[in-house]
Amino acid sequence: MGKELLGYKGAKPVFLLVALCTVAQSLAIILQAKWLAEVISALFSGSSPYQQAGEIGWFLLAFLARHVISMLQQRLAQRFAEETGSDLRQRLLAALFQRGPAAVRTEGTGNVVTLVLDGIGKFRKYAELVIPRMLGVGITPILVWLYVFATDRISGLILLVTMPILIAFLILVGLAARKQTEKQLGSYRVLSNHFVDSLRGLETLKYLGQSAGHSRSIKQVSEGYRKATMRTLRVAFLSSFSLDFFTMLSVATVAVNLGLRLINGSLELLPALTVLVLAPEYFLPVRMLGADFHATLDGRQAGLAMQSMIREAEAESGATPLPDTKQPAAGEQKRPPQAQGPQRYAIGNANGGSSGLPRKAGKGPAAPPIGKSFAWETDSLLRLTGIGKRYEDGGRASLEGIDLQIRGRRKVGIVGESGAGKSTLIDLLGGFVQASEGTISLDGVPMSDADRRAWREQITYMPQHPYLFSCSLEDNVKFYAPDASRAEVVQAVETAGLSKLVASLPQGLDEHIGGGGRALSGGQAQRVALARALLGNRPVLLLDEPTAHLDIETEYELKETMLPLFRDKWVFLATHRLHWMPHMDYIIVLDAGRVAETGTHGELMARRGVYYQLITSQMEGVL
Amino acid sequence: MKQESWLMPYATAHIWRFVLIAVLGILTVLFAGALMFTSGYLISKSALRPENILMVYVPVVGVRTFGIGRAVIHYVERLVGHDTILRILSQMRLRLYNLLEPQALRLSSRYRTGDLLGVLAEDIERLQDVYIRTVFPAVTALVMYGGIVAALGAFDPGFAVLIGLYVCLLVFVLPLISLLLTKRKNRAIKQQRSALYRKLTDAVLGLNEWFVSGRQEQFLRGYEEDEAEVDRTDRQLKRWARWRGLIAQGVVALTVISVLYWTGQRHGEGMLDVTLIAAFVLAVFPLMDAFLPLSDAVEKIPHYEESLARLRAIEAGNARGGLAGAAYDRESVENRNRSGMQHAAKLDLAKNARFLSDAGAGVHILVRDVSYRYEKESLSALATAEEEGLERETRYAVRGLSMDIPPGSKVAVIGRSGAGKSTLLKLLQGVISPSAGSVTLDGSPADHYGDGMASFISVLNQSPHLFDTTLENNIRLGRHDATAEEVDEAVRLARLGPLVQSLPAGLKTRMQEAGQRFSGGERQRVALARILLQNTPVVILDEPTVGLDPKTERDLLSTIFSSLHGRTLIWVTHHLVGIEQMDEIVFMDEGEITMRGTHAELLQRSSRYRRLYQLDRPGVM
Repeated sequence: MGKELLGYKGAKPVFLLVALCTVAQSLAIILQAKWLAEVISALFSGSSPYQQAGEIGWFLLAFLARHVISMLQQRLAQRFAEETGSDLRQRLLAALFQRGPAAVRTEGTGNVVTLVLDGIGKFRKYAELVIPRMLGVGITPILVWLYVFATDRISGLILLVTMPILIAFLILVGLAARKQTEKQLGSYRVLSNHFVDSLRGLETLKYLGQSAGHSRSIKQVSEGYRKATMRTLRVAFLSSFSLDFFTMLSVATVAVNLGLRLINGSLELLPALTVLVLAPEYFLPVRMLGADFHATLDGRQAGLAMQSMIREAEAESGATPLPDTKQPAAGEQKRPPQAQGPQRYAIGNANGGSSGLPRKAGKGPAAPPIGKSFAWETDSLLRLTGIGKRYEDGGRASLEGIDLQIRGRRKVGIVGESGAGKSTLIDLLGGFVQASEGTISLDGVPMSDADRRAWREQITYMPQHPYLFSCSLEDNVKFYAPDASRAEVVQAVETAGLSKLVASLPQGLDEHIGGGGRALSGGQAQRVALARALLGNRPVLLLDEPTAHLDIETEYELKETMLPLFRDKWVFLATHRLHWMPHMDYIIVLDAGRVAETGTHGELMARRGVYYQLITSQMEGVL
Repeated sequence: MKQESWLMPYATAHIWRFVLIAVLGILTVLFAGALMFTSGYLISKSALRPENILMVYVPVVGVRTFGIGRAVIHYVERLVGHDTILRILSQMRLRLYNLLEPQALRLSSRYRTGDLLGVLAEDIERLQDVYIRTVFPAVTALVMYGGIVAALGAFDPGFAVLIGLYVCLLVFVLPLISLLLTKRKNRAIKQQRSALYRKLTDAVLGLNEWFVSGRQEQFLRGYEEDEAEVDRTDRQLKRWARWRGLIAQGVVALTVISVLYWTGQRHGEGMLDVTLIAAFVLAVFPLMDAFLPLSDAVEKIPHYEESLARLRAIEAGNARGGLAGAAYDRESVENRNRSGMQHAAKLDLAKNARFLSDAGAGVHILVRDVSYRYEKESLSALATAEEEGLERETRYAVRGLSMDIPPGSKVAVIGRSGAGKSTLLKLLQGVISPSAGSVTLDGSPADHYGDGMASFISVLNQSPHLFDTTLENNIRLGRHDATAEEVDEAVRLARLGPLVQSLPAGLKTRMQEAGQRFSGGERQRVALARILLQNTPVVILDEPTVGLDPKTERDLLSTIFSSLHGRTLIWVTHHLVGIEQMDEIVFMDEGEITMRGTHAELLQRSSRYRRLYQLDRPGVM
């Protein structure tokens, strides 16, 4: 445990300093015990406390030194944890925002957010505790023991024997607890989820007329959960019990043993007292580690999970390695800039290491050194050669052997059954995911990994559920063009058919929408996305099933609004709703990851192939 | 104070357990102190070299007893503590459920998404810390404080006062200062954290947009600035915690030295046996340990406030009875909170009603000239400041609506979002009562049915919840006492047969384990099987096919129509696929019916209908 921490930036100096603190602290502990024992034994032999003022002063000094050092040590560890945590978070976010939606799709939004926020917190706690605790266990008992042994051999031997027994028991109990937990892991999960599951399904229960009776089941399951938890805790608490038990037992043994030898006259009071004061200190670091061990375990897990996400992002984005643990982001600036090339620079920006959050106000497409510019001209040639995509190695291909050539500004429809690969093709065209094989090129310039970003900046993407940010309607519309003027926004809003909505909002364009704001209907959200696309004024428009979920009247109206806006763009529209197809210049029909046929609506209907099948199946009535 | 109502009742209900925990907590500390006290006494006594080893027999036994006893008692204390907390959690869960259950259908859709409900469930979990981290340590410390001062007072009242003052610093002064100093910062940090949470969730949900926009750095920079702000506050809090620790240790040092002087002096005056010097001094350390965690315990208080506030809000919302709800609901809430008995009786009534309705031919639904307008959001107590903008406008959600739905007829309802479709459904289910006009089922007002409504109307909506249990249990939710044959029949009618056969565990497959294997269409079929068991004369289909591809949509509709043959269907739909099967099609806009008729009539009469119909029939163009 804790080894991987040393890989983090600045870990080694912290490790050394904390070790130094631990040694100093151990010395203070020994001195504190020594002087306290001296004072007590002097008082015992009849000396007045006022005569002992000097010794008492020394004791006070040692005692305070111990705690001041402890404070310094905590501060060191806390700063280190804070910095390491921030660093990890920055790299994780950079990776996330670089790798893009694919990462979130595999991990789930909730998981990603929890990992970044709670995960970093837990990781910090782990990073803060683990170094002092580990060093504490490694250094303090040894030094304390050496002093005890030098003072009184027999007590030293008692303490020496107890420690391995204690640790052996700790391991045994730990194993038993793990076995116990594993045994009921499945039922445990169900029990603990039951309540949340019930609340989430409350509406359904109500419809089924079962909600009132369900409270009985909640009670039963809660009780079952309590019993299962207690069974686990009975074993789990044994580990701290065994720590306590052996510590207390061995302190008691040392005390009784000292007493007997004092009666014999083979020992003086002073060494006996010193040993008695030091005995609990000998075990303290182990007990502290035991207490914090479980609290830090999930922090370690979180750290590892984040590391692996960063690594995956590196693998996915290929050409742009993120700084690893041993090569902090700051180091990147030191590399010769010419070796990185312009694209690297661009992505280094997104990367934004600890030292180098980018310097310019990120105004997207205007940034000069962004690499090759992909110009989607009226007569450009888009070529896909041998494109294939597998999401898992050896898994089923979502797309396979796609060869397509599309010349000139076109409206392209992409159709096919569910799972035919429509969305994957859109994702590839958008540069959101990387093709497993083959290349996509525009006018002979291939979209390589390095300039996927430049590629993306030519593109507007409208998914089925466009995301509305939690901010004003105007800022939502200006998302691609933050510098647009109010007049331009008003124009875009009007063209997208939102004027009526804006007029009905109390705050107009400044109305807060998205999370925590006014809820918009699916159709209105699509119109906001449309206005956003209009203002962004990028040459390519990717649409992934934009209207299927809408009610038919809204769909009809939205289609009427959208069709004229397609006129001057490259449009790629993937949908099940075939009524769009007669308006397309070119239709790609996908079947099980391959191109089944291409052509216009008329051509494909005449051909009576896959497309014709799709159309006719939708013409049949239900039943 | 209302705030206590989530904490106090449980303390009183479990008073003897609480007393036991406190006693055990105190014994743990006392034993630790006694161990060092007896040890000190033992070696001092031994150093006097008594004639007989039996002279130290009692302290020898004492040292061993206290040593082992402390470990055992602490173990028992922790177990009893957690057991009690888990008992309380059980009760809190039940209470929260009973609070939410009556309002389940009235919670505005935002709250129903499940996220907020999940948060509430977490709040309950968080409250366990109130007891374990704050209440129990505080009680232990206070009792110990009183005990120590009293015990010392018997020896030397003056010195007892001095020690009383020292410990007062640890028990009252330092925690109070700590609370005052950190309260605002703790709250600020909590707010900042939840702001970060919102910001990041927003960004991650909109990651596609950031990704395409090329403005990622801008976001990251802004986000890191906010994080740095939180870190700064956090650093200040931690710095204070370190200083507080040092100050507390300073007090410990002061106490030790005072005890040294006191014992020395008393011994000098012949008032204290020489063997007690070491005993007293050594006992100081373990005893002071009882007081050290108090500042931390008190500082935690602001952490619970938010959770408590949310739970309180739910309760307040309920106390107001849900303005939109009928008086009936308020009554039933109270009934349920008091006793489960009446509750069960009501359920039986509902069951009888079901069998009656089974015998009958069905239900005749009449909607006569109904209007409904929403009052201000009935659950605004749940809304935080930022959600204030959400208050519903008080315009009519439906207006002058009339429908005659005889048993076994099929009605389709079509309209844009906000056209009043959901309000119509709520009126039919009796969840809300019409502001004007009447909704009746076989002549009785819909809002009089209460929980019995589930015997008459079942609902298949867009995302029926499938519970984390077996497939069979999910289906059986429709009717618990269904026979195996009935379940099989429902599975067959919902055309789940092939799917069930393909699963190794068949109907015993757990939903979670199957995970992604259940597609949207399959999930709807499971819910359909459930509704078939529920066997109501009326079925509401609330856009069950949204999000399904055309093929699945068709297949599912075909299954729905054939399996529910003969029932009354009220079908809210977004597409016109399958519309030919309906007896009446109703178009709604802004709360009113704008167009109605059969498919054939509309096709003939309305060019608008023809245009819409073409969207689902692309070949016609």
